[in-house]
Amino acid sequence: MTPLHSFGEALRQWLLTIPLSAVRLLFVGTLVVVLLWVLSLPSRETTPLHGATRWDENLKLGAGLALIIQIVIYSLL
Amino acid sequence: MLLAATNVLTLPDYLVIALYLAITIYIGVRIGFHVKTGKDFFLGGRQLPWWAIGMSLVATDIGGTDIIGVGGAAYKHGMAVANFEWIGCVPAMIVGAFVFIPFFYRSGVYTVPEFLERRYNSAVRSITAFCWLLFMACNLGIMLLASGKMMSAVFGWDEAVCILATALLVGGYTFVGGLAAVVYTDVIQCAVMIGGCLLILVLGLIEVGGIGGLRERLAEVEQRAAINELAVADTNPVADSEISESQNSSNDSNLNQTSLILPLDTQTPFPWPGIYFGLALILSPAYWIGNQAIVQRSLGAKSEFEAKAAYVWGALLKNIIPIIVAVPGLIALAILPDLKDGDAAIPSLIGELLPAGLRGLFVAAFLAALMSSVDSYLNSASTIVSNDFIRRFISPNISEERLLTIGRITTIVLVIWAVFFAFLLTQMQEGSGIYAIFQTLMAFFQGPAFAILLIGILWRRATGQAAVVALLCGIATSITLYTLNQPSVVESLGLQPLFKIQEPFLYFSIWAFVVSALILIVGSLVTKQEPEEKLQYVYRSAIRRSPVIAEQTPGAET
Repeated sequence: MTPLHSFGEALRQWLLTIPLSAVRLLFVGTLVVVLLWVLSLPSRETTPLHGATRWDENLKLGAGLALIIQIVIYSLL
Repeated sequence: MLLAATNVLTLPDYLVIALYLAITIYIGVRIGFHVKTGKDFFLGGRQLPWWAIGMSLVATDIGGTDIIGVGGAAYKHGMAVANFEWIGCVPAMIVGAFVFIPFFYRSGVYTVPEFLERRYNSAVRSITAFCWLLFMACNLGIMLLASGKMMSAVFGWDEAVCILATALLVGGYTFVGGLAAVVYTDVIQCAVMIGGCLLILVLGLIEVGGIGGLRERLAEVEQRAAINELAVADTNPVADSEISESQNSSNDSNLNQTSLILPLDTQTPFPWPGIYFGLALILSPAYWIGNQAIVQRSLGAKSEFEAKAAYVWGALLKNIIPIIVAVPGLIALAILPDLKDGDAAIPSLIGELLPAGLRGLFVAAFLAALMSSVDSYLNSASTIVSNDFIRRFISPNISEERLLTIGRITTIVLVIWAVFFAFLLTQMQEGSGIYAIFQTLMAFFQGPAFAILLIGILWRRATGQAAVVALLCGIATSITLYTLNQPSVVESLGLQPLFKIQEPFLYFSIWAFVVSALILIVGSLVTKQEPEEKLQYVYRSAIRRSPVIAEQTPGAET
């Protein structure tokens, strides 16, 4: 056993103690954080230079939808 | 996987395939008439629309072997393989769209390594360009070979002819039309790919009695597998103890088929730490933000907004890919539970479900997936050779027209190389082992490359000298970990393998990223900061500019 093996084994044992429900929370939580970040972006970052003239010109909508689908998927499967 | 006998193609099938190929060639050649400069060839003249780029991103990501391989992996390991398309793509694409793509687009670069030179120095550019070129050039040969083998096995066609025909066809339209031809043919290919896979999904679900029927059948298959395991344990005490030791893995097999999150001790290559830390946080952003073949098409967008929109559109499309590619693997498991080879799942399902005439649509989908990946890697490898080596080191003042010629010559050379390399691999006995090694190669340098890109953008203090050392040390870390996990090496050293799962490439990337990031941070603090004027040049472009300023800079929005 090298120090790398010992370190790896210790890390492995620690990760084994984390319940899968907490892991799911981590996956879903990460997606929720990204979603909140997208929603908080200033509109100049998510619209064309001249501003959004149509509803589909705000990228928050598409990005938010993609992430919400992910959140639902990782909550269920 | 030899299923040619069950998948005999008929005249209507061949007509569908011929129609698809004719449309692809027509589009590629027609676009070629408008290509006059290097910028047209490498960046589509910066006139590409978001919807085409978004579909191209998805088509490029799904290769011919993925169509069969992802379904096969779902058959063997369950839906966990979908992580590669879901959490392994969507968040990274969204973050990439709003954080990284603006940096690349506003700086007006042709390649990611070129951006790294502006941020760091020419050594960083050269190392990353070399790594990507090596990977792409080898991968071109591997993709041709893997697809040739698959076409030969599934459709009964001659392997050598498949390799040559694919190379000629894809090389032809990429040579003529460059990135624009690649992107617009990808649109057709993406639509055909989704259509073909959707057909199998719908027919498969009808066959098993809908989603409820699929779940019931999968439960029966899992139940039967559990009974078989117990029977083996009863007759074999050694096996009994092995089952006890891997209790977690046995338990997780009961929820494997439809679960995305698998325990650390799973027998599959997809334990959750690898998926979360290795895939979602490192390999996926490295791929969507640092892979030249991916990023290049967004650099060809009409405007920065369209470049971002393309990534968001791609992320939306990515949500449906596992449903049409991986779920058929589960349907195959429900209908044909006794296949020995997972890669036989999708071809067998086609033989079972699709009538003559509709098989041609699936073959077209397979060809579409194959061609969309080969053409992208071909064009991007050509871009790196032309811009990061020839224009950077040999002929800095080269004209746009001459650059176009060089790009086209490079494309031909790469096609010849890819065919040569594919045939060279066929001569080697362990072709499949080589394929796995080259997949691992990507994990070797993607982690370190992403570390320097990420920190370089987020932290002004990061220096070029530290970046070079960090990049090299990160690559060395991956290679060392890989070596220390090889059975022959660990046996000779009298050690245990470092990792307990098969194909631990996700773990290589985690540690390589961590080492590179740490070295870059520490190294930057002890080396001299980059000149302010240089940083200004990179970071100033990241600040949202007024339309007036934007018009004065390359890559500006119009």
